[in-house]
Amino acid sequence: MVFTETKRYYVERRVMERMAASGSGTFASYFARLRTDTQQEIEQFINAFTVNETYFYREDHQLKCLTADLLAERLRTRPREHGLRIWCVPCSTGEEPYSVAMWLLENWPVVDQYEIEILGSDIDTQALQACQRGVFGKRALMRLPPALIERYFEPVDGERWRIHDELRQSVVFSRVNLVDSAETRPHGQFDVIFCRNVLIYFDEASRRVAAENLFENLRPGGFICLGHTESMSRISPLFTVRRFADAIVYQRPPEGATDG
Amino acid sequence: MPLVRRPGPPPQDLRATAGILEGLASPSEEARWIAARAAAGMAEYATPLAAALGREPAPRVRQAMFTSLSRMDSAGVGAVLPLLRSDDAGLRTGALDALRIMVRSSPELLPPLLDDTDVDVRILSCELARALPGDAATALLCDLLRREEDPNVCAAAVDVLAEVGQSEALPVLAACALKFRDTPFLTFAIQVTVERISSPPPLARA
Repeated sequence: MVFTETKRYYVERRVMERMAASGSGTFASYFARLRTDTQQEIEQFINAFTVNETYFYREDHQLKCLTADLLAERLRTRPREHGLRIWCVPCSTGEEPYSVAMWLLENWPVVDQYEIEILGSDIDTQALQACQRGVFGKRALMRLPPALIERYFEPVDGERWRIHDELRQSVVFSRVNLVDSAETRPHGQFDVIFCRNVLIYFDEASRRVAAENLFENLRPGGFICLGHTESMSRISPLFTVRRFADAIVYQRPPEGATDG
Repeated sequence: MPLVRRPGPPPQDLRATAGILEGLASPSEEARWIAARAAAGMAEYATPLAAALGREPAPRVRQAMFTSLSRMDSAGVGAVLPLLRSDDAGLRTGALDALRIMVRSSPELLPPLLDDTDVDVRILSCELARALPGDAATALLCDLLRREEDPNVCAAAVDVLAEVGQSEALPVLAACALKFRDTPFLTFAIQVTVERISSPPPLARA
């Protein structure tokens, strides 16, 4: 994550919050705590800086593209028994991977004919805990029609809903640092990766490394979807731009094609 | 329910440290890719990576090699610089991109490049200064303009100052225009740059 001078206030606020939370009276004592990673302070520090703004069916044109085009193209080249793997990284508090699951169940007529793995990963461990709890407020559900909420959620109280256990247990969550191949490689390769609105927070060098990591995590011919303001073409030449009716996505060249 | 939850695949071997040199020479593109990425940040592999770049046909492996070199600071700079003179446009572009990344993350790498004995290196290094904050770029390019004798290098510095230069550059630009008063293209470029730096920002004009 890179923060410029314009984000000074944002950075100062969060450092001061961590100092207060950890009982550090001075910056020097807090810095020492951070350097020695006392009581997992590094993890707490990272969590304090991650931005977790998201909601269900965000940028759903990409979900439409998933079921209208991407999966069909993937299945043309793969035997049915190999299944499909979809990765949402970062996954924040879970809205995105659960959205993928719901969308597939609602909009992909052949969903029952395939085994589909959905993984959600994030660097923020508190966000991952929220994913596991699967409880969401009104704002997260604002784009969902009432029928969907009734079908996939149960009310906790008047303001919160919990996603059904069956769906909650069908998504695997894990911690990952996108810039560290030691953390990304163990997740294996995917048919589709949603990596939205995170690369914009990296400096140029980290973006290139993250792009190369994501390339490794894609099966040949697999697709990656970025945020609507992002462009992989400006980050790395490894991927091919693919324009579909609902979205522009990026593809790792299929086996046998010239990479890059 | 078609959504399945299963344990992840076994972790792959992450860093084939003992096999990097062998990997870079492998006939397998995948092996060369893995070796190139494994060398990231390891200065001892700067020279082998640069040498491998010269013969690497696969664009994605080249990209990975440049990415790894860009994480080697001064060792990476030394390995990448000769590639700026390559006949291969892809290598020249890749080298420039890698240098830009290195300078942005380690600005202290730039002054020696601006002082290089090779005119072409000094010209390209002026372009790299564009990646720095305005005050840092201004200071470095002004230092260069005070001592530089080659008008093409000065022109490259002036071009960057036109975009990022600050008011501290004005007297240095004036002195440069005096030094090169018999070089019309440069005095014209300096005049345009001085006008741009001197004009108030748009908000102030409103």
